[in-house]
Amino acid sequence: MSLLDDPGVSSPAPGACGDRKPARDRAFIRVTGLEACYHGKPAVRGVSFEAYEGEQLSLLGPSGCGKTTTLRCIAGLETPTAGEIVIDEQVVFSAEQNIDVPSERRSLSMVFQSYAIWPHMTVFENVAYALRLHKERAGALRTRVTEVLRMVGMEALIDQPATNLSGGQQQRVALARSYAFLPKAILLDEPLSNLDARLRVRMREELKRIQRQFRVTNLYVTHDQEEAMALSDRIIVMREGVIAQVGKPLDIYDAPRSRFVADFIGAANILCGRVTEHRPGEALVVDVNGAKLVCAPRAELPRPNAEGEYLVAVRTVYPELRRNFEGAGVNCWPAFVKERLLLGDIVNYMVEWPGGMLRIHGFPNVLFSEGERLLLHISPERAVLVDADD
Amino acid sequence: MIFRRVRGSAARERISLPVLVLLAALVLIIGYPLLLLAAMALNVGDAQALLPTHWGLANFVRLLGHLEWIRNTLLVALAGSTFGTALALLLAWIIYRTTIPGRRVLELLVTIPYPMGPLVGALAWSELASPHGGLINVLFDALTGSHASLVNIYSVPGIVFVMAIFEAPVAFLMIGAAMGQMDPSLEECSAVMGAGRLMTALRITIPLMLPAILSAWLFLFISMMGAFAIPTILGTNSRFYVATTAIYTLFQGYPPQYPLAAAVGFVLIAFAAIAVWLYTRALRGRSYAVVGGRTYRPRPIDMKGLTPFLFAVVCAYVVVALALPLGILLVASLQRNSNITLSAASWTLHNYRYVLFDFPTTRQAIVNSLLLGIGTGTVGTALATILAWVIYRSRGAGRGVLEQLTMVPQSLPRLIFAAALLWMMLALPLKLYGTLFAVLIAYIIVFLPLAYRSITGVVVQLDRSLEEAGRVHGAGWLSVMRSITVPLLSPGLLAAWVLLFMVSVREVSASIFLAGPGAQVLGPAIFNFWDSGGLPQVSALVIVQTAIILVALIVIRSVHKKGVAI
Repeated sequence: MSLLDDPGVSSPAPGACGDRKPARDRAFIRVTGLEACYHGKPAVRGVSFEAYEGEQLSLLGPSGCGKTTTLRCIAGLETPTAGEIVIDEQVVFSAEQNIDVPSERRSLSMVFQSYAIWPHMTVFENVAYALRLHKERAGALRTRVTEVLRMVGMEALIDQPATNLSGGQQQRVALARSYAFLPKAILLDEPLSNLDARLRVRMREELKRIQRQFRVTNLYVTHDQEEAMALSDRIIVMREGVIAQVGKPLDIYDAPRSRFVADFIGAANILCGRVTEHRPGEALVVDVNGAKLVCAPRAELPRPNAEGEYLVAVRTVYPELRRNFEGAGVNCWPAFVKERLLLGDIVNYMVEWPGGMLRIHGFPNVLFSEGERLLLHISPERAVLVDADD
Repeated sequence: MIFRRVRGSAARERISLPVLVLLAALVLIIGYPLLLLAAMALNVGDAQALLPTHWGLANFVRLLGHLEWIRNTLLVALAGSTFGTALALLLAWIIYRTTIPGRRVLELLVTIPYPMGPLVGALAWSELASPHGGLINVLFDALTGSHASLVNIYSVPGIVFVMAIFEAPVAFLMIGAAMGQMDPSLEECSAVMGAGRLMTALRITIPLMLPAILSAWLFLFISMMGAFAIPTILGTNSRFYVATTAIYTLFQGYPPQYPLAAAVGFVLIAFAAIAVWLYTRALRGRSYAVVGGRTYRPRPIDMKGLTPFLFAVVCAYVVVALALPLGILLVASLQRNSNITLSAASWTLHNYRYVLFDFPTTRQAIVNSLLLGIGTGTVGTALATILAWVIYRSRGAGRGVLEQLTMVPQSLPRLIFAAALLWMMLALPLKLYGTLFAVLIAYIIVFLPLAYRSITGVVVQLDRSLEEAGRVHGAGWLSVMRSITVPLLSPGLLAAWVLLFMVSVREVSASIFLAGPGAQVLGPAIFNFWDSGGLPQVSALVIVQTAIILVALIVIRSVHKKGVAI
């Protein structure tokens, strides 16, 4: 079937929403002090977090940050060296109490990066496999399989051998298979990374729709910040085996805690300067090369860099450029367009201002040309102090 | 993930000259001897004539009176290949998929019995477990005071046992390679979704491994149907004949009964063809396990309490297939006479001096075998490289047929093909028979599939764009070959070369008819030596041969970390 067909959005399968009512305040998966090795090297170094019931939680980070190892520990595919994992009030792993419940008794489900579609089975058999394991009655089996396949728009291929499927189709079957038997939670390990760019965007939207329909707790591992932003209620940003920041997508975007998070999620200018005024929770001014930048106030100052300077993150989309110099107030400076890069949907400007250089994202509806003199305005709440990396 | 190999449609393309030349050469050198074999089987006239004077089916009718030859062959081949494959599967699973200690060393040790060869295995086990005088029985009698023998290797179970343990390493390598190509998430997915270990094994792992297991089984089955050394050494005493030993006896008789021998050979080839056909049918549409090219390193399973037991199983195999055979041969080679004593006081190195220097026949056989090994390695590697290149890198029709033709000798019992080759050489006006050259030709053909498989593995891995980059930058074909292709391929080529060297040095079946007084070769020399007695000297010669092979094995391990890809 064509991937551009709209697979039955209007008809959510009956019963697909599950028997459990999502209770968003209950910690459904609780990971405490997790430590684990990958190929003999420490990959996860003390990770603790909670996933609430029905929540869509992402583990986001660059390769080697320990996100996949964390997920595999929860699945029971890796054995942690320390810590505790609780799923639905059952301790499935505890180094202290010497508990290690095998994978198959954790009532989870998983979508793999390679999809792991069993090539010796048909589409039907792939989906039915887990249902049979969970004692689905033979009579209801076919109905149930058809139902979940319809949700991913694959019911027409139900009797095809799995080897006949394209990458996108395998992906859909893998999703159907993992949702079919209503597991306690679904773990997804970079499920979209093997698809080409266009298909990835499309599958991202479809995954979002499936998540809304099933309301099963999702733990989603990805290195793609767009995916994490689009698909999650909360994001856990990881770096070198520890958690860098946890929060709602927009909170992390607007208030990155560290330079690493500011760089990794979205695009940001990192400015260095000395704090000239700091009244906790009220006012914060940083001197960036002589430009007095009024920043978002905070209770405590973050960690400065090795030179004792403080870092200010300014998202590339937030500074405003305008031709009209009137009404200039706080955080306004004259600026000069040094370079312009037209990328199609967005326009990249390199702007010279008293504080140095600033990269700013604009849109083609208001175009400035190279050499133009403009007014730059940075709203104080958009200038966020962040921890320097160690 | 790609399951299917994409094959370009070559139907309307024209056949290219290199493909045509190679096709013609292979058809001639493989087809012509087989044609002579068929003709000989239908010869009811003068039994000594190379081409039939009268045609008829009388030889096949006579064969009906000796059906036990065929029955015995099928019996040992079926039992041996099944036992061998099961053993290989167990060993591969323990070594590649569980956390037993010393996996790397055990992996190496488990593969060594194969290059050592069936002749070595048969001789060693006849010294270990012959009903009278076999070391195990002697020790058993000494310990218990009884006179009954504990084990008798001169029996059908004995033959099956020795065949299985010495052929199992090939199956081990084939199954091990397939295990490495299976995406571990296929099993992990089953586990996460709630399937226990047994369920995952039955529903996921075994079905996915089935093509590799079947193909290993088929390889062993055909190899064992054509086995010669083991049934001769372990079966002739009890008048247990299989097809190959029957053919050998018919050749050696006076007058030689070539037509009946040819009929036996013909039937054997027919059975091999049926096995290949059944295999192909069984695997239709199931080729997923071998494709992909990616290799994985699945997380080994911690079997906890069972680990010492699994470790012991692998060690037991190494003892039975490697340590005991080498040990007994080493001890036997140091004896002054055929009665084995374990007291080192009476040991001597005299036998080594005898086979290495004093006795011209063995001295010549050693030198000739080294020459043959070098010759087969060089010519075989070159030929296989050209074939792999034409098949994988050229365009045009006929490449698929060429590949299938290249693999044909693998399905032919080597002893029978050598017999057919002998007739071809006698039929040709060239005086090839009795020269090393005759043996060389036989070796190159019978080992061509082995060389080809070993080389294609390397060629497939070499990305075409590396060569294309050379061409784009202005290098000619020869220059690309010299400066890009050959350097990148050289570890693979060297590994193939050493592999061919090893199998040539240890070969008996393909050379027993072709080696003669003027062209002594190690395998047949050891065999004839054994035939005429002199156990200590035979053992010394076997140890010399094994030493040569072990040196080659060390070379191959150092250039090719993954070991010998059969």
